[in-house]
Amino acid sequence: MVDSDNRNDQNSDLKKSFWVQFARYSQLAFMLPAATVAGWLLGAALDRWLHTTWLYLVGILLGIAAGFIELIRTVMRDK
Amino acid sequence: MPEQLWFTEILNHLFGSAVTSLLTSLGIHAKYPAAPIPNSLAMELLVFAFLLLLFILVRSRLSVDNPSGLQHMFESVEGFINGQSHEIIGHHSEGYTPFLAALLFFILFCNLIGLIPGFESPTAVPIVPLGCALCAFAYYQFQGFRHAGIGYLKHFAGPMPALALLMVPIELISHSARVLSLTVRLYANMFAGDMVTLVFISLVPIGVPILFLGLHMFVSLLQTYIFVLLTTVYLQGAVADEH
Repeated sequence: MVDSDNRNDQNSDLKKSFWVQFARYSQLAFMLPAATVAGWLLGAALDRWLHTTWLYLVGILLGIAAGFIELIRTVMRDK
Repeated sequence: MPEQLWFTEILNHLFGSAVTSLLTSLGIHAKYPAAPIPNSLAMELLVFAFLLLLFILVRSRLSVDNPSGLQHMFESVEGFINGQSHEIIGHHSEGYTPFLAALLFFILFCNLIGLIPGFESPTAVPIVPLGCALCAFAYYQFQGFRHAGIGYLKHFAGPMPALALLMVPIELISHSARVLSLTVRLYANMFAGDMVTLVFISLVPIGVPILFLGLHMFVSLLQTYIFVLLTTVYLQGAVADEH
């Protein structure tokens, strides 16, 4: 009886972590392009503010790096 | 003049001139002065009023001995959010439940209202998911500062002080990308759901649209869950001690 209760609890935990992992991993597909776009937008805003023409490129590169860091962080968290 | 839903027409008829004069006094020029309230805002107000009435109704009928079905439903949703945030955040996660529950109910009803003929999902307009994402962003940043004080800023510097100069802009972009990703995910899914349903209603008006209405309902539930879950994950990152 106790065993079956434990098994039910474990199953429910597994189900819960499945949905948590599903949401975490589903965001990665969005996170990579979103970070690049966010970097580009921030860089372009800085370009406008500081009257420069190259900060958007830095923003895009940092955005790509941010996307990959988020990806690695998510994968490492579940290891 | 944009196409207005019947409820938007009523709101614009009652409050349109007052809203236009308020916007003008604030220095904002309304695009359509005769109808300054868009469908998305009207639907949001409707959802807000509906939720307010629902909560008042539940509050007035709270009973320990004889709980109503509605009370049971709200208690299970509250228990579900509590359990989930406890699983992700750990101890002391109860304090975040009211915000997460409010976010869940608001987004869920905003998504589902589009299934009723004569209404449309406000979340299928980008400004509404953006507002929800900004609320979530402001909330988890606020909780981060509340939890760790000014030391919360260390989160942005990364684990190695030598790389702090590089990590600060990367973290800033990463946090901005969270707002963008929350917004785009909810907006794109709801917009696509509406479009698919509309296309199939125009192609085969009988029978088949039911399948897509079911799909729309499933997507509504799933996207609400993912939005709230990711907000919880971001909250956990903001209030975690190990960083």
